[in-house]
Amino acid sequence: MPLNIDWQQILLHLLNFTILFAILYFLLYKPVKAFMEKRKQEYEKREEETQSKLAEAEKTKAQYEQKLQNADKEIRELKEQARADASKAAEARISDARTEAEKLVSRAKSEAQKEHDEIVASAQEDIARTAAEAAEKIIAESTSQAYDSFLASVERSESHDK
Amino acid sequence: MSKKQKRISLLVFALVIAALLIGVFLTGNSGSKGESIQELMQNEVLHETNKISLFGLIDVNPGLISAFLVTAVLFVFALIVRIFVIPRFRNVPGKFQTVLEEAVGLFDRLAKSNSPHRNRFLGAYVFTAGTYIFVGTLFELFGFQAVTTQGISTALTAPLSDINGAIALGFLSYGVILVGGITANGLRGLGRTLKEFSLPISMSFRLFGALLSGALVTGLVYYYISLSFVLPVIVGVLFTLLHAVIQAYVLTMLTALFYGEVTEIKHNPKTSKRAAVPAAGDLTANAIGGTKQ
Repeated sequence: MPLNIDWQQILLHLLNFTILFAILYFLLYKPVKAFMEKRKQEYEKREEETQSKLAEAEKTKAQYEQKLQNADKEIRELKEQARADASKAAEARISDARTEAEKLVSRAKSEAQKEHDEIVASAQEDIARTAAEAAEKIIAESTSQAYDSFLASVERSESHDK
Repeated sequence: MSKKQKRISLLVFALVIAALLIGVFLTGNSGSKGESIQELMQNEVLHETNKISLFGLIDVNPGLISAFLVTAVLFVFALIVRIFVIPRFRNVPGKFQTVLEEAVGLFDRLAKSNSPHRNRFLGAYVFTAGTYIFVGTLFELFGFQAVTTQGISTALTAPLSDINGAIALGFLSYGVILVGGITANGLRGLGRTLKEFSLPISMSFRLFGALLSGALVTGLVYYYISLSFVLPVIVGVLFTLLHAVIQAYVLTMLTALFYGEVTEIKHNPKTSKRAAVPAAGDLTANAIGGTKQ
């Protein structure tokens, strides 16, 4: 062969290289690569876990914030409610008092009227009695002239009452 | 030590060096006792006479012995690493672990970036090829000696500066590309690989030429004793370290590149149609959803 090329030696070189390939693949390349792969996966897993935990924490934080806001709102609502209730109660009491007063006033008025009526009635009776006594006296003392004059005075007092 | 003493010792040192140099040049060309420069160069290229007996069975080129030695060294190294280092790997790597991980990761990334499909075997292959070329080329630096069949002591050369080794690796790389193409794309992959018929020859001879040039220049420099003082350091670095890195990179890069090309799955009309249908369905679904909204 030209250039001293020898097939047998080429084959020997190939054999040598194939053995070297097996050695390097199984002793060096494969385990090192497996280790690197494993480490990569481990870190990826860790990263994933961190991310998920972070997201969870964010979620919880948001929830708590929401809860806090809700609580604030509730407190405000309750306060307003209480204030409204108080004012309502006060108004109710005031109106009650007013009606009560009105009632009292009306009752007093009616009582006063009644008393007045009674007084007037008793006064009339008194007048009638006095008049009757006077009439009896006059009748006993004088004549029909006096009777006439008495009638006229009674009529006058009645018209005065009306 | 006083100034005077210092000066005297410096002078003595310079005189000794000068005397030795003069002696070296006066004693003449010791290299001519062995082979002549023509013979040496021819042997480096063709290995016609410089053969080494392989266990007394056949006579082989020194490169093959180097290849076996490189394999043995790497085997011991890998075994030690596998037994003592890898079980103690930690998540935060130390220095040695970083080097190992970087070596594996480098070729793994090379395979993945150049060949998106079927890159598991390719990664292992380029890792082995890269390591073999790199260590094999650096092996030359140690200058292990071996005795030829003619009884001359010769330094073991890089495995790939032997044309047989270079052809083996070049054609093997081509074979890997070919097999990858066939398994990924069948006849189409075969055709695509065969289109690059010059690839095995170019890969083989690139390796051979690059590594042989280093060996030749180094041999030349060492042949003449007047050249062998500071120059070998530069030559050694230029032709050994640089070649080790460059050739390992070039061959693995080319293999990964062509492998990626032939294993790439081209969208034929059938699969593209199938892929287009769900996309259209999505579009219509979106449109319906849009009108509903």
